Amino acid sequence: MESSDQYNFSIFSPRNLHGRKNRNVIFFMLTIWAVAVFGFQILLKAIEKPTPEKALTLFESEWPDVLNGNLDQVDYHVILNSLLMVKGKNTVLSKDQQLLSVAISSVTFAMVPDSLRPMVIEKVAGLEAMHSEIAGLKDQEYMDLKFRIQDASASLVSILEPFTGYATTNLEAPILAASLQKDYPASLTDPSLDRLPDLMKLYLTHNQSVLTDTKFLGFPFHYFYTAVFLLVLFVVLCIVYNKLIEWRLNKEGIVE
Amino acid sequence: MQRDMKKLYFTILLLLSGVVSLHAQNLTQLEGSFKTGPAIILIAILITFVLVGIFFRAKDPTDYYAAGRSISKVGSGMAIASNWMSAASVLGMAGMMYGFGYNGLAYVVGWTGGYVLLLILMAAQIRKYGKYTAPDFIGDRYYSRDLRIVSAIFTILISFAYCVGQFGGIGLMFKWILGLNYSWAVIIGSSVVLLYTLISGMIGATKNMQIQYVIIVTSFLLPVFILAFKFDYFWLVPQIGYGAAVTDIVHGIPAPNISDGAALLNAYGHDLSIVPSPEFAMPWDPSTGTTFFQWIAICFSLMVGTAGLPHVIQRFYVVPKISDARWSVVWGLFFICLVYWTAPAYATFGKLLSSNPEVGVLAKDAIVVYTAQLGGVNSLIVGLLAAGAVSAAFSTVSGLLVAGASAFSHDLYVKVINPASTPKQQLKIARIGTVLMAVLVTIVALMRLGLIAQLVSVAFSMAACTIFPLFLLGIWWSGSNRAGAKAGLFAGSLVTVIALTYFIVGLSGGSLPGQAFISYWLNVWYFAWFGAPLAIVVNIIVSKMSKPTPLEIKKFLAEQVHN
Repeated sequence: MESSDQYNFSIFSPRNLHGRKNRNVIFFMLTIWAVAVFGFQILLKAIEKPTPEKALTLFESEWPDVLNGNLDQVDYHVILNSLLMVKGKNTVLSKDQQLLSVAISSVTFAMVPDSLRPMVIEKVAGLEAMHSEIAGLKDQEYMDLKFRIQDASASLVSILEPFTGYATTNLEAPILAASLQKDYPASLTDPSLDRLPDLMKLYLTHNQSVLTDTKFLGFPFHYFYTAVFLLVLFVVLCIVYNKLIEWRLNKEGIVE
Repeated sequence: MQRDMKKLYFTILLLLSGVVSLHAQNLTQLEGSFKTGPAIILIAILITFVLVGIFFRAKDPTDYYAAGRSISKVGSGMAIASNWMSAASVLGMAGMMYGFGYNGLAYVVGWTGGYVLLLILMAAQIRKYGKYTAPDFIGDRYYSRDLRIVSAIFTILISFAYCVGQFGGIGLMFKWILGLNYSWAVIIGSSVVLLYTLISGMIGATKNMQIQYVIIVTSFLLPVFILAFKFDYFWLVPQIGYGAAVTDIVHGIPAPNISDGAALLNAYGHDLSIVPSPEFAMPWDPSTGTTFFQWIAICFSLMVGTAGLPHVIQRFYVVPKISDARWSVVWGLFFICLVYWTAPAYATFGKLLSSNPEVGVLAKDAIVVYTAQLGGVNSLIVGLLAAGAVSAAFSTVSGLLVAGASAFSHDLYVKVINPASTPKQQLKIARIGTVLMAVLVTIVALMRLGLIAQLVSVAFSMAACTIFPLFLLGIWWSGSNRAGAKAGLFAGSLVTVIALTYFIVGLSGGSLPGQAFISYWLNVWYFAWFGAPLAIVVNIIVSKMSKPTPLEIKKFLAEQVHN
């Protein structure tokens, strides 16, 4: 008489030698898979260090002078550059972008002589109007206005160049032009900008380690490992598994 | 059959050559009005799909559900890849990397690594068990009509959740190509995919999927070669070449960016320059609002979900031999990886090309198409890319609709409601189920509840909490019995309901006790990290405490599945 127990099995306790070998292959593959995927990420987490960008280091070195109201043109330039380095990132949340625009405007207008300020404000207002208008346009009209905005931005940057040091060909130029607004506080110590130091820290600190700083085939190593290597490994694991199973089936004379 | 295929390929070539002969205007606005060239390409491809559906249409229920078990392993691999590579893969994944940096890679790894689990733990065993659908297996293995019904309902829900993201992707691309608004684009797109799924069933769909795969992979890879060449990166293997661009983004590129005496510019004439942006590549960067836990939870949920998706599991029923089930996974995974190796390149080039503030932050789900546009790629090639994305969504939707319809007609109607039904009645019910599901998905897709990849993740977590534990324990432990399966399914469903409830309440602006806690730890995009292990543990405990599995089930498993 057949007993229910004679057909009992689990992945941990197979019924025969074939099953045990099968189990060993499965566990071996799963271990490689798990360590390669999750083990690497855990390692990445374990050795990471919050690393500031150069822009943050410079910003923080100038911040005490901002609080003391003791800034010269060079200090303003350092702070402006740090602010632009954050504003230029397109992961910045829109509410933070707004705050950065206010800060950038405040610093820039502090660098511009009083005599030029009305003209700059007029140009900024013109740009703001064009930006509002473009949202409702399509096709050729859209492109025409887009080029007019580019020209107006370049003109604004040229006017500011003697004070900011940014020529129209500089990386910072379009970021500056897109950030300026006609309403701004007189100083960075304005209460509306209280969040600024924390915001700078948030966007300019990154989790880095030897795995992120090492280059491999042009990639940061950890990026290559996750985006390219792991996928190769998955395909290879699957091929090896199939070959192993087929080899064992042949060897044991088993026909599926 | 071979001659039919040749005729078909000839027709496709003819239609496409007609399109190529049209002189393309340069695409100058990311979202503009009607785009003639891309529209013709899309229409040509859609007509092809319908023709394929007609040529290879289902003649009886076996054809409808399981393609008559006549598909080769490479063909099945292509179908797996095409069925798998949805709008989430082609559009959503690059968008996640563009928006969330390294955390977007959790989707790349999660959606490929799950195939290792699928192969090692499921593929051959499912084929050996010899059923048509996931509820078929569950109902039979756990000797329970109730479980068949519940798993059929979950199959429909999973397919439904998966479809919502796809219809969203279809809507975005139709909107881009036809210059329609999103709502009309979703309605038109869903009508077309419904039409040919109804005509063809899975046998047509499988042939369609092979053609779709070729379209998806060609349209997706071609622009990346062009972008890498144009912007002076290693273009022969752009899947490696974009690595230098990632490093450039991390360190920043000063303007003007000049190569061989010429400035590198995007389509708007902006320099290919960028401020140092390590947040794009550094792990779980604080500024992206993502964490290490989320990376692991998303990756795990997607992997386990992959091995529990009914429409993926169902593909193993359509291969003729058991070894074909195994090799079709390898082929499927390889074909998938061709696209997945490339998707981060779109995010990378997109980041570079949109760095100028005048371009602004791009809509994440359309980043693939926008990147090609901003890179100044020929508009017809961009059109082909968009049509490829539609193709990807279509191929997945057709598989999902068939899986959902199968669950509705085969598992609910035939096995529960009307066992004496004729094949003609069964086919009719399958078609009614398909229509119902497509209409409901369209309505939900119009609500735009989230990003494509995120919406699709819900389906994965749901599958991981409900179907995966039943398959895993059903195959690998004879001790898992009906009571254990019911309890495990209840636990997984409970976690699913909690995650979905908190998500919906949060979305509507409300708040439940522990809203912030649950929204983070049991987030709707990755709740399976907890739900799947819980369902397995509960299944084991209750199975140990209840009446053992019947002898005939144990004997069948031991002799047919594991011998």
